[in-house]
Amino acid sequence: MDVLEHAFACPLSHGLHARPAGRLAAEAARYAAEVTLLHEPTGAVANAKSALALIGLDVGGGDRCRMRIAGADAASAHAALGRFLAEVLPGCDEPLTAPPAGPDLALPRSLRAAGVRWRAGTGAAPGFGQGVVVFLDRLPLAPPTGAACVSREQEEEMVRRALAGVRTALEAGLVARPSPVEAAILEAHLAIATDVALAEAIVEHVRAGVPAGPAVARATASFAGRLLAARSLYVRERAVDIEDIGLQLLEAIDGGRPRAIAPVLARPSIVVAETMAPRQFLALDRGHLRGLVLERGGTTSHVVILARSFGVPALTGLAAARADLRAGSEAIVDADRGILVLEPDAVARRHYERRRRAHRRGQERMARRVQAPAVTLDGRRLEVAANVATAEEVEPALALGAEGIGLFRTEMLFMDREAPPSEQEQFEIYARAARVAAGRPVVIRTMDIGGDKPVPYLGLPREANPFLGCRGVRLSLRHPEVFDSQLRAILRASAIGRVWLMVPMVSTVEEVRWVRARLAAARAGLETAGVACDPAMPVGIMVEVPSAALDIARFAAEVDFFSIGTNDLAQYVFAADRENREAGGLHDVRHPVFLRLLAGIAGAARRHGRWVGLCGEMAGAPANLPLLIGMGLDEISAAAPELPALKAAVARCSAADCRGLLERALACRTAGEVGDLLAAFRGRGDAPGLLQRELVTLGSDSASREEAIEEIVEAMAAAGRTQRPRDLEEAVWAREAVYSTGLGHGFAIPHCKCDAVTASSVAVLRLERPVDWGATDGQPVRCVILLAIRASDPDDAHLKVLAQLARRLVHEEFRERLLAAADEEAVLRCLAEELGIPADRTA
Amino acid sequence: MTACPTGIAHTYMAAEQLEKTARALAHEIKVETQGSMGIENELSARDIREADAVLFAVDIEVENRERFDGKRIVRVSVQEVIRNPGAVFARLQA
Repeated sequence: MDVLEHAFACPLSHGLHARPAGRLAAEAARYAAEVTLLHEPTGAVANAKSALALIGLDVGGGDRCRMRIAGADAASAHAALGRFLAEVLPGCDEPLTAPPAGPDLALPRSLRAAGVRWRAGTGAAPGFGQGVVVFLDRLPLAPPTGAACVSREQEEEMVRRALAGVRTALEAGLVARPSPVEAAILEAHLAIATDVALAEAIVEHVRAGVPAGPAVARATASFAGRLLAARSLYVRERAVDIEDIGLQLLEAIDGGRPRAIAPVLARPSIVVAETMAPRQFLALDRGHLRGLVLERGGTTSHVVILARSFGVPALTGLAAARADLRAGSEAIVDADRGILVLEPDAVARRHYERRRRAHRRGQERMARRVQAPAVTLDGRRLEVAANVATAEEVEPALALGAEGIGLFRTEMLFMDREAPPSEQEQFEIYARAARVAAGRPVVIRTMDIGGDKPVPYLGLPREANPFLGCRGVRLSLRHPEVFDSQLRAILRASAIGRVWLMVPMVSTVEEVRWVRARLAAARAGLETAGVACDPAMPVGIMVEVPSAALDIARFAAEVDFFSIGTNDLAQYVFAADRENREAGGLHDVRHPVFLRLLAGIAGAARRHGRWVGLCGEMAGAPANLPLLIGMGLDEISAAAPELPALKAAVARCSAADCRGLLERALACRTAGEVGDLLAAFRGRGDAPGLLQRELVTLGSDSASREEAIEEIVEAMAAAGRTQRPRDLEEAVWAREAVYSTGLGHGFAIPHCKCDAVTASSVAVLRLERPVDWGATDGQPVRCVILLAIRASDPDDAHLKVLAQLARRLVHEEFRERLLAAADEEAVLRCLAEELGIPADRTA
Repeated sequence: MTACPTGIAHTYMAAEQLEKTARALAHEIKVETQGSMGIENELSARDIREADAVLFAVDIEVENRERFDGKRIVRVSVQEVIRNPGAVFARLQA
């Protein structure tokens, strides 16, 4: 029999790791032929139908490999695998989840100054927590002692039953629709549990006379060991998943008796382990779990992913951590800074208490901003909604402040499958979205598909210009049965919640009338069958084709609402494809001509009493917001992560100012001029005064210069005067490094000019116990005054006031007044009077 | 002349300290500050010509130094002025 070959170099920069190995194994498994992979650099050969065996080859990016195929259907296998290697494999390289963006790996100054004991690690799951140290041991993979080998056939039968049992349990877990994180882990485990090479290895041991239990233990150890020797950290992290499956098999063989895999937590705890399996993490009482320390493993292990999804702070890469720690002692995991603090003292406790308060405040501020409706300074309401593509995205969107779903894209339901989704399948999805939205509107857009999308069952024609061809509603016209099925599903969902129907790519009124006719027929059919639906469901269109954009008056008579799709509209208006390198630059939604069109659409819609929203990418940029407010839109819809910033931006604008801005923008000649106009436009209420109640702290228990500066910077952050407190802190220390700002008589005047400051400020901190500041007169400091100036165009008036404040501090009477002031208000009054700032300018 | 590194606080504290101390010692003084707001209370050619003493209380380079050519200049740090203005004045009189 001939052996067919494919010689290739691994096209994946991260090498042949779990996902691509799994896909290759699945592809190879479709054929009866034997398929093996030779890794030329090492000469090792693996069964290509086993993902584990492939991973064990440790094929790196660029490594030369040879795939060998022999057997009955070798020819077709060879052809298919050739295609796979050329077309599918290169695309399997999704970026491995990167570690959380830039953790600031640095010991806080106050902790360093106080000499706390600490170890450096890598922050893998964000946050910080304190608890007693509890050690966790590795999975108990000792084989069960007991019943001697009955017969090899029976032992083999036990193994097969165990494998089947574990597979069934994992599949059941997946059917129960777990969270995406848990689903990913279950899938990875299922791939291991169904891996042919693993099963073969266990059976081989049994046939050689080893009882089932020890056979599992040996095979598990062997595969895990091979993975632990891999070059790629990602692959090494998978070893613990193999051990997890090994344990499940052992438990199954042992009559289903579960083994103790994790300690019981009785109080707030930091769990420390060399390595951890996902099920061990899940077995820990999360009510008491405050943090994780993993000696080995990186940031892509399943445990870390679970920790992130459950909000448990985690540190990795602390080699031999257990040797440094005593079980039962206190420790703090600070994954934001990548440090582990051992046996924290009062200074450390104060520091983390401050950070806890800051964190809580940030959450509260976010919650307040997010849940309030978006209203301008002069009372104009703008609905801020979210664009989604699945029902699962609705809840997170609401959590970020979405007041509705302005666009529910349905294409995903139709793509990448052999046949269209059934009415029932669609109904369940739309109904879930409507239910979760709890009374907020959900605008469902009918299938928006064109020749460029993978939908084989629709028999889409090959078009020279798919964007100018059969897509959107035009396609629905061609496939009325598919369309009707979607209409019925949407109508049924309209009985569950507030559902609006929207049609894409409409260019003529006839199309709208056709849709309404189909809708009426569908509704009649449902009513006859006694199925409920909303008789007044609003029907609207996407405004993205110029022939509709220029004829709003006529369309207003046919539809209930409009939603402007600026992405495609701009493409058609400028006759430029955004993705086209040559022409893409012409596509600019800020161009005055385009703005005039948008304003015209909005104006016409309002004149005819129709709701008008905007769901293109343009809505997602807070910088564009003043223009959109000026146009008088009823709603904007954008990706959920943008919503908090958008709502905050709305609250800072005055609609009257925005209308004026729009007028000026329409008079510009180029998009560049509009851009300049927007950059210079600052909503009113953007510039607070120098003083604010929250910037005055009395009775502080800070015990060092480092702590005092941390505390006063924290007050700035709490008052919203900086978004980057670490940078502000560093700028203050940069000035301290020149020479101490302790100016004698118990006063210190740290100051800086930096762009981490959002508004120039004066902050005051009075200390219960004076601290050493390295002052010129050697006296400790009782009163700290921070002068923080915004770097970009600082207000000259502010500079004058600060210079004045500095001068006043030279005079004893002023200093005495500040020291004697009874409370925060008194301090503020003293400052305001001295500096001639009118009282109501204290923010 | 006073000029400190950041030009926000010490420049003006030093100026204030000098003016306060000069008053107490019954001297006439004019202080030019070079800070974040630029040059304020600029010393004119006449001011410089008629001065008995010139003091640079500075931590950085002074702007338009040529104005003082020919005059005897006493140079101290900004910190010294703030900490011990009396001693600084004593040096000027020496």
